[in-house]
Amino acid sequence: MNVVEIVLLAVVTFFFAIDQFSLTEIAYRPIIACPIIGLILGDVQTGLVIGGTYELMMIGNMPVGGAQPPNAVLGSIVAMIFAIKANMDINAALGACMIFATFGQYVVTLTFTIMSGLMVKADAAAEAGNPDGITQVNIISCCILGALFALIAVIAYVGGIAMSGVLQSLADNASWFMGGLSAAGGMMRFVGFAILLKIMLANDMWGFLLAGFAAALVIGNIEAISSACLLLVAFAGVAIAVNDFRVSGIQKQAAEGGFSDGI
Amino acid sequence: MESKKELSYVNTQPADRVKKSTLTKMIWRSTMLQASFNYERMQSAGWLWAMLPGLEEIHQNKEDLATSMTHNMDFINTHPFAVTFVMGIVLSMEQMKADIQTIRSVRISVAAPLGGIGDALFWYTLVPITAGLCANMAISGSVLGPILYFLILFGCEMALRYGLMYASYNLGMKAVSMMTEYAQEFTHAASVLGVFIVGALIANYGGGTALGIVIQNGESPIVVQSYLNMILPCLLPLLITFLMFWLIKKKGWTPVKCIGLILLIGIVGAMFGIWKGSYTPLFPVPWTIG
Repeated sequence: MNVVEIVLLAVVTFFFAIDQFSLTEIAYRPIIACPIIGLILGDVQTGLVIGGTYELMMIGNMPVGGAQPPNAVLGSIVAMIFAIKANMDINAALGACMIFATFGQYVVTLTFTIMSGLMVKADAAAEAGNPDGITQVNIISCCILGALFALIAVIAYVGGIAMSGVLQSLADNASWFMGGLSAAGGMMRFVGFAILLKIMLANDMWGFLLAGFAAALVIGNIEAISSACLLLVAFAGVAIAVNDFRVSGIQKQAAEGGFSDGI
Repeated sequence: MESKKELSYVNTQPADRVKKSTLTKMIWRSTMLQASFNYERMQSAGWLWAMLPGLEEIHQNKEDLATSMTHNMDFINTHPFAVTFVMGIVLSMEQMKADIQTIRSVRISVAAPLGGIGDALFWYTLVPITAGLCANMAISGSVLGPILYFLILFGCEMALRYGLMYASYNLGMKAVSMMTEYAQEFTHAASVLGVFIVGALIANYGGGTALGIVIQNGESPIVVQSYLNMILPCLLPLLITFLMFWLIKKKGWTPVKCIGLILLIGIVGAMFGIWKGSYTPLFPVPWTIG
């Protein structure tokens, strides 16, 4: 038990937790994070090996499209703690850290849910024309995420392997809650869509909404092109919008020019 | 948020070109795009924070700044590195005091497709190649591995942010000045595109919302969601979006009230094992969760 190590560990975890979504979005990757944690815990070599191994494991398991794979930040930190403090071999440490990585994923889900509530505060600041209010909301959010991550890292450091069992049973008992939270998290974006539609959706536009929906469904289900789905839909959308512009432009000209131009 | 009144700027005089130092500030602020990432609005608060230096310079009038900030809190989700492309275009439109509804529609229409391109370029191409190159160096004990990894990826990231910001700001200035004559028609066309894209987003982002009820039936288990898919794939996302739209537009619900309702639906549903996912329901149910 070393207080300096705990404090440094908490500080870098706080930083990596934020970095995984903001800042550089590179420094949190295992290949960089593990050697840095190794430096704190006094074994850079192990950090390099674990970092490199973990990095290769992560290819193909990227945080894209809103998907939340087991959290790499807590995964690397806890694997390092187990390997250096509990003298586990590298593969065992990488295996044992997974329950913490799963917890990291829970924390992310929880934070993203809580932050939906804080959007009220951001809206109020925006309506008041108060830039500082927006800064505050962003700082609060970063602090929530960073602090929760730092807490779990400290628990792993102090509790060691013994904590795995506790976390595992906690994860089993609370799985319905986390399942519900991630189901709700998946649905919350529909509120964001509804706010957009409230402004944009005039009564003559329902057809376009459904057409866009249909286009994305079709393209999204063709495996060969599904990764370019939104881009392809946007191409079609641009064509429709240009046509709409042309038609209403002709109407305007006709209205201004009366019948004199003829048809 | 006002229910009926259309947002518009008091001062409709185009502002001067934004200073270079302001653009640079916005580029660096864009790294915090996802600071307040959440399931409802995704990147909106980070987006607004990154836009603020430019918005404050353009809208000297406090009332206009508030109006601009309000509509810049809309839902947005795009690639965190390519976001400056969207920022440049929106900034040029703000500067020309374009119609607010047009800005809203253009913003979501440009932002949404960029996400996919950025991911394909960065996470599926550049990162795996760089990782393959550097990971083995690290495993064999070289500190150069992580350093090289950081330099390559961060360098590409920042070059992308810089290049796209200037390119799109200049492009936007040209495009916006061309469309002023037919502003109203352009607004309508932009809304058509925006609505079309939102329709696509419902299908593209909505797939996670599905029923998980699987009734064991010997050889051929009954997957309830697959019956729903026969009616219409992504039926639930579409219906929930319509429900939220109706609650907000017709019933005057606030977004936070909608969020509360969704939390309730999600968690109560998971208690009974209705939603798809890997979890154990709180109450024993006669089906399995798939």
